[in-house]
Amino acid sequence: MSAGGDGGGAKSNLPPNTIIGIGAAGGLIGIYLAHFLPATFSFFGGIAAICAIVWGADAVRRVASYGLGTGVPSIGMIALGMGIVAALFGLSIGGVAGPIVSFITAAVIGAIIGVLANKVIGMGIPIMERAMVEIAGAGTLAIIGLSTVIAGTFEYGAVLDTVVSTGFIAMIFIMGGMGILHPFNANLGPDEKQDRTLILGVEKGALAMVIAGLASSINEGLGPAFVTILVGLTIWYLAFNKYFGFVKRDAYAVVGTGLLPSEEELQ
Amino acid sequence: MIDLAANFLWMFLVVIGGVLISWSVHFVPVGGAPAAMAQATGIGTGTVQLAAGAGLTGLISAGYMMQVVDNLPLILASGTVGAMIMISVTMIVGTWVYVYGVGCVPSSAKVKVDPITHDRQDLYVSQGTEGHGLPTVSFVSGVIGGALGGFGGSLVYYALLKVGMGVAEVDANMIGLVAIFAVGIFFVNAVIPSYNIGGTIEGFHDPKWKKWPKAVISSFVATIFCAIVAVIAILQLGGL
Repeated sequence: MSAGGDGGGAKSNLPPNTIIGIGAAGGLIGIYLAHFLPATFSFFGGIAAICAIVWGADAVRRVASYGLGTGVPSIGMIALGMGIVAALFGLSIGGVAGPIVSFITAAVIGAIIGVLANKVIGMGIPIMERAMVEIAGAGTLAIIGLSTVIAGTFEYGAVLDTVVSTGFIAMIFIMGGMGILHPFNANLGPDEKQDRTLILGVEKGALAMVIAGLASSINEGLGPAFVTILVGLTIWYLAFNKYFGFVKRDAYAVVGTGLLPSEEELQ
Repeated sequence: MIDLAANFLWMFLVVIGGVLISWSVHFVPVGGAPAAMAQATGIGTGTVQLAAGAGLTGLISAGYMMQVVDNLPLILASGTVGAMIMISVTMIVGTWVYVYGVGCVPSSAKVKVDPITHDRQDLYVSQGTEGHGLPTVSFVSGVIGGALGGFGGSLVYYALLKVGMGVAEVDANMIGLVAIFAVGIFFVNAVIPSYNIGGTIEGFHDPKWKKWPKAVISSFVATIFCAIVAVIAILQLGGL
């Protein structure tokens, strides 16, 4: 089951470095804004998560275009597996520098797994090491961003109380993973286009933001939760419309099939 | 305050657990998308989903047992059996679908006779496919895989919880933290072998199975780093 194409790099309109910039800088700035500004602005954590998810989705499309030999979802799951370990580690020892420590830890773990995948397992994907670093970093920032939406801060104790012990961390795990793995998994094929894949990442990130906003109402009260949900829904609506536009642009034709035929018509 | 040396035993157990998870994936008959269309032997989904399904069930049953008793063999047995039941149910329901729904005979394309039942396989493989359904040998292999995965997963969980118990009282925070670290380590160790086997494997009779040392070495190295990071984060619970 070789998903994702016949080998060779993916064509990109936006160069990888631009997206790394958007993901890493946007992610970290959003997380710090959500942390330091009052609770009403905790939606910046969701925006950080969207930046990180778009970055992760772009890294997935670059590495999975070579053909992983297995399904694309695996790489999203390893991203969040590495991400969750690195995120909680960084927050636990980093204090106010927590997200940065997490980010660096994720890069180190990602580099190790990338080197192992190429050197020991022998996957032979030239950008594997780099992509693993990027995917681990994006997964970490997505987790911290969504946790900051729910907790209002990235302080270790608060995150443990409001995100980990309540079980929302499992929800963040799957939503962040979905955001990173689903865009390329849904759009892969010879007609895959970067803008269509990435806008789907924005859409998935916005959905995650809406759900994280709902979860934040327990801790942050209805006001900030409402703001987060409203911002999330707005981004979702815009991104979904844009995605639908790209689908219609790239499709050969969009036709209605009508209703299912009735029994009499079939005879 | 961070005393890694005192927790060396628990870190060692985490690494052993990670290696077992990695090894276990090689036993599970993963068919991927071709198997979902009954064009390859195995269960019709990816490695990660199967390993996660079985292993996380093992984690839950181990965690449940841990509420009652603090005895390592019993907790490991509970996790092992939980994962075995989960993978067995998945495989038997899959077999029903392949046999009664799709209408194909469970057969392997990798071996001429089933090593366990000695039934001929090649006669029953449909043209243009790489086998279909779950022959006996794949089923047995899957149960072994579930056992190893559940054992490894509960070992990781137990060891990390013991680290936490050394510094603080057990509460919801600690259990949540330990569980999510166990899940994270589980996913890392489920994906590494899935890249090793290239997405599909029939079980221990498949020639690809012999590649397991590569994945186990990779998981060993990766889990060492994950274990160090996880233990440090859990030890911080003591300072809260």
